[in-house]
Amino acid sequence: MACLYIPVQNSEEEVRVALDQLPRDAADILDILKAEQAPLDLWLIIAREYFKQGKVEQFRQILEEGSGPEIDEYYSDVRYERIAILNALGAYYSYLGKIETKQREKEEHFILATQYYNKASRIDMHEPSTWVGKGQLLLAKGDVEQASAAFKIVLDGDRDNVPALLGQACVEFNRGRYSESLELYKRALQVHPDCPAAVRLGIGLCRYKLGQFDKARQAFERVLQLDPENVEALVALAIMDLHTNEAAGIRKGMQKMQRAFEIYPYFAMALNYLANHFFFTGQHFLVEQLTETALAVTNHGPTKSHSYYNLARSYHSKGDYEKAGLYYMASAKEINSPYEFIFPYYGLGQVQLKFRDFKSAQSNFEKVLEVYPDNCETLKALGHIYVQLGQTEKGQEFMRKATKIDPRDSQAFLELGELLISSDSGAALDAFKTARGLLKKGGQEVPIELLNNIGVLHFERGEFEFAEQTFKEGLGDGIWLAFIEGRENFQEIAASESILQYKDVQFFQQLQDSGRQVKLPWNKVTTLFNLARLQEQLHNPETASILYRLILFKYPDYVDAYLRLAAIAKARNNVQLSIELVHDALKVNDKCPNALSMLGELELKNDDWVKAKETFRAASDATDGKDSYATLSLGNWNYFAAIRNEKRNPKLEATHLEKAKELYTRVLLQHPANLYAANGAGVVLAEKGHFDVSKDIFAQVQEAASGNIFVQMPDVWINLAHVYFAQGNFALAVKMYQNCLRKFYYNTDSQILLYLARTHYEAEQWQDCKKTLLRAIHLAPSNYTLRFDAGVTMQKFSASTLQKEKKTADEVRSTIAELENAVRLFSHLSAASNLHFHGFDEKKIDTHVEYCKNVLDAAKPHLEAAMREEQQIRQRQEVARQVALAEEARRKAEEQRKFQLERRKQEDELKRVRLQEEHFQRIKEQWKSSTPASKRRERSEIDDEEGGNGEKRRRKGGKRRKKDKSSKSRYETEEVEAEMMDDQEDPEDEDANLNYRDLASQNDQDDAEENAHDPLAAAGLEDSDAEDEAVPSTNTGRRKQAWSESDDDEPLERQPFSRENSPELQESDEEVREDGHKPNGNAAAEDED
Amino acid sequence: MKLAGLKSVENAHDESVWAATWVPATDTRGALLLTGSLDETVKLWRSDELVPERTNTGHCLGVASVAAHPSGLIAASASLDSFVRVFDVDTNATIATLEAPPSEVWQLRFNPQGSTLAVAGGGSASIKLWDTATWDLVATLPIPRPEGPKPSDKSGSKKFVLSVAWSPDGKRLACGSMDGTISIFDVARGKFLHHLEGHFMPVRSLVYSPIEPRLLFSASDDTRVHMYDAEGKSLVGVMSGHASWVLSVDVSPDGAAIATGSSDTTVRLWDLSMRAAVQTMSNHTDLVWGVAFRPPGASGVRAGRLASVSDDKSISLYDYS
Repeated sequence: MACLYIPVQNSEEEVRVALDQLPRDAADILDILKAEQAPLDLWLIIAREYFKQGKVEQFRQILEEGSGPEIDEYYSDVRYERIAILNALGAYYSYLGKIETKQREKEEHFILATQYYNKASRIDMHEPSTWVGKGQLLLAKGDVEQASAAFKIVLDGDRDNVPALLGQACVEFNRGRYSESLELYKRALQVHPDCPAAVRLGIGLCRYKLGQFDKARQAFERVLQLDPENVEALVALAIMDLHTNEAAGIRKGMQKMQRAFEIYPYFAMALNYLANHFFFTGQHFLVEQLTETALAVTNHGPTKSHSYYNLARSYHSKGDYEKAGLYYMASAKEINSPYEFIFPYYGLGQVQLKFRDFKSAQSNFEKVLEVYPDNCETLKALGHIYVQLGQTEKGQEFMRKATKIDPRDSQAFLELGELLISSDSGAALDAFKTARGLLKKGGQEVPIELLNNIGVLHFERGEFEFAEQTFKEGLGDGIWLAFIEGRENFQEIAASESILQYKDVQFFQQLQDSGRQVKLPWNKVTTLFNLARLQEQLHNPETASILYRLILFKYPDYVDAYLRLAAIAKARNNVQLSIELVHDALKVNDKCPNALSMLGELELKNDDWVKAKETFRAASDATDGKDSYATLSLGNWNYFAAIRNEKRNPKLEATHLEKAKELYTRVLLQHPANLYAANGAGVVLAEKGHFDVSKDIFAQVQEAASGNIFVQMPDVWINLAHVYFAQGNFALAVKMYQNCLRKFYYNTDSQILLYLARTHYEAEQWQDCKKTLLRAIHLAPSNYTLRFDAGVTMQKFSASTLQKEKKTADEVRSTIAELENAVRLFSHLSAASNLHFHGFDEKKIDTHVEYCKNVLDAAKPHLEAAMREEQQIRQRQEVARQVALAEEARRKAEEQRKFQLERRKQEDELKRVRLQEEHFQRIKEQWKSSTPASKRRERSEIDDEEGGNGEKRRRKGGKRRKKDKSSKSRYETEEVEAEMMDDQEDPEDEDANLNYRDLASQNDQDDAEENAHDPLAAAGLEDSDAEDEAVPSTNTGRRKQAWSESDDDEPLERQPFSRENSPELQESDEEVREDGHKPNGNAAAEDED
Repeated sequence: MKLAGLKSVENAHDESVWAATWVPATDTRGALLLTGSLDETVKLWRSDELVPERTNTGHCLGVASVAAHPSGLIAASASLDSFVRVFDVDTNATIATLEAPPSEVWQLRFNPQGSTLAVAGGGSASIKLWDTATWDLVATLPIPRPEGPKPSDKSGSKKFVLSVAWSPDGKRLACGSMDGTISIFDVARGKFLHHLEGHFMPVRSLVYSPIEPRLLFSASDDTRVHMYDAEGKSLVGVMSGHASWVLSVDVSPDGAAIATGSSDTTVRLWDLSMRAAVQTMSNHTDLVWGVAFRPPGASGVRAGRLASVSDDKSISLYDYS
């Protein structure tokens, strides 16, 4: 047992103090020491013993007593021991300061330590141990440079001073100069081979930092041999084990880590690593506890940074982005430069991305990129951010770089593809295909989202077969195959129920009841929806309908499926069912703007003008006016309203037009590339007479609309044609109408045929006009206005033929036939109008019949005249021939003899013929002028009409043109709305009316002039016109109907194509993108170590 | 089951060809193809070379429909001016000119027994039946108007009758209208039986199966062909695939297939056992207004023939086997 002997003053005796039995009260010992004036080294030994035993108070008491002023005085010549005591105190306070976490106390400790060291220096400023102590103190304070200076002073005096060597080594280590540090440690070890384990720990750390892992491991193991409880060595070894990245290694590492934790539960690095481990095992509670402890026990920046990072990550993965962001920020704050520890920046970037704070995210990711310029994840994240910031080009650049750096990163290609979707679908498709190829090559399952996107791109490009293949590949095996391939038998149903067929999901219930499994995994819904959409495009609406219903059977909240079913029903003209389906959709989400818009269109179709407007408003409100479709619909509504009030109230018209223009413009401001808004604006301009401007607009829209199967804009073609027509360029207008008919309507649209006919009419191509109208009638047999127009055309044709100076009997005959046809048509109409409601009144028809009959009467003399003339000509020819024959005979007889004479005779003959001709001419003239009075009047009227026609036309030109315009614009609007729609069947009606009105009014005017003496007829005509415009009670119904029909179609159609499609596509994109995010997030999280 | 193109005649008419039917063979000659056109003529063609036999004139405003008497001796043609001309096939002598104003005339069909000519009456919302012996109007079968509050405007024009078809036994008559409804009549009692619902767009062509007397096929602008059990009022099948209106439908004499003509310019052959299109002919360049299977010939001509006519002014003949 170690004992200490305190010599008794002035005696040879000694007091024996057993070191393991030091009194609890240090004062006892102090009394002895003081009393006996024991040498100071004994004081020191006893103090140290107390310290070793953990009795810090006693330790401090003795040392403080031993450094008091009395001692200084009494032992003034004992310098070394006094210094040693002071240094011990200094070291003690340095240590206290080092481990203290509270800043104030920490500083107080350091100040005390500094004071003690300074006191020691005052005793002997060359004492190396004081310098070493100071150096340690400075190190503890983090003042590396001054610490180095202190150590250097010592080492200059004694280059083998072990504590100074160790201190310097520590300095070098902190400076990151590991090989120098290693040298110093080695020297210390050489000088003092038995030095504590910590030296070897230093060597191990240097080696570790230098990448000499095996040697580092040896060093750490050696430390543990010397000191089995050395936590640092344990942790270091554990970290090395963990970094092997092998299951066994990690297990061993964790065991070591745990042991370290058991030995000393406040070792921050161990805590961080444990937290890290538990993060990956998902025990977030442990992560938080550990990191919080770690944060409490350390002040070391990088370690704290790690702790914060761990905490942030934990919250991040739990989805608490706000906290995660705060901790990431705290973590980033703890480090001096991103080069030390980049992960928190990455995490921060991700969180900011999540909060759509793109600018900040961008700067953080850029920091990451600075450190790791080739990090694909970062490149991808940045690419994404740039796209979000609208810098698509730059975004693509980053994404492309990512794919270039790792051409096997299917994820990168996937994201690149997504970026390209909006700008370059071809390149996007290539990128997606590459991604698919990579995944397949890697033996991985190709995610359905990717296949879906590929399919959609093929779809958009019109490559339907590829699209179908891809969708099917994505869907794999399932109940849907039976429907797609038509294996599932069509269920026979009562015809009366077939009306509601599209709502029926019983069918699937039956299938299920009969033991078939009806399954539809949620992740396949989008693809199935797209496949159904494709089936629609491929003209298999039945298949599409069954697929949509399958979706609804499993996911009754899938609004888009309801809307598509409604669109199919609407395409079939089953308005009632369509409305029901839309209402089903609204039951799911009564604010769904798409459903509301569609409902609005359907209400228009059902004549519910006011309701439709409200619905459009609701749709617009539901999206804060951001839904272009709703706004466009309102614009169209206003446009129609303007047209509707044309004659009734010019002010209202102007207001509505302005309103329409404003709405179109608003959409254009939000989406400068919105074709429909542009078209609408063009229409309003045309309405105002700015044909050149509107023509430019239409031409641009037309160009932009070509090349995408989802953008079908026949309206713009029609509008262009209208403009050509209004500008008198009939040939171009005809061509444009015909192209439009062929391109968009399979030549089945009678409305466009009507436009075409009208163009022919204006161009006075009567036969073309008639043929066109007949075609239209054949296509739309129940549209009686077409017949009326045909009648008018024939009447016009006849009148103009009769007007001609020269006409053959055949011409006159065919004219008469036409007139008879016209009369027949008109009288049919007249009879039919008793039964039906066609939109024109009997009186007007009667007037036309009367007129035709009159012309017919007038034509008969023409015919007779023509026939007589022909006969006479024939006779004359006969005479001439006989004369010629006689002459010939005579000539033969008198050939030689009377050559001269004969010639004269011949001349005489000719003269006679001429005279004869003149005579006939006169007779003809007589005929003309000698027709009976009534007929004459008729004729002169005709003349008037004919002559005045041009003039009148010109005169009326403005007016008529205006009408044209309006009708045109009407079409246009319809078209506008029709934007995407295919069947413009309804617009026909409306336009028919308009057109008809144009034609009719023109006619009326003609008639009115001709029959001015017939006030009744005139009145009747006027009436009808007035009715047209002014009497809402009778006519509005009709007109409304017409409009509403036309309107409906367009929007509806539009709905299906533009609106609905885009949501669905977008949706799929979004899905994919979301998927992309998740991996990203995980990757980021994983990245961290 | 397939079609093989045999012969096409470009510019068979000066204008769109709107109607086609086969005149059955008689003792003295084989079956003839009868076509009607917007050019106001009716033409007769000898198969298989489609040699023009004769051109009949006399119509105004375009020939919208043609029909042949089962005897093959007489035929009828109707034009947009609402006249029906009945003529002797071999001599072109006019037998009768029929009109029933204000009713216009759309599709025409002789009954299989040859005693009656049914005429779709358009806006009169009725079918007119003419006795083929006396050429008197013997009956008008009106479609009952749905009891609605406003029978005047919309519904009126929508019951516009476009197409007619006789059941093989001649006891039933089906007619299709603009609004898509199909009406079934009991001819003997002159009584309306019921509607067949399912279409909501014009039904331009109807035909009964020659094999299963209850089976009725309808072609509609909604791009579909429906298969109804006309007695049981049930929808038996739906065939979709045309991209635009289905303008015409006809059943093959063996009852195993139907052919359709559409405004998407194609002619399709549908296998009824599969209820799917087995072939699509795209030789026409414009609306295909008519398709017609040749009735089995009396004079030992067994080969199946299908003719199609189109707005592109051409007529085509196919071998059906």
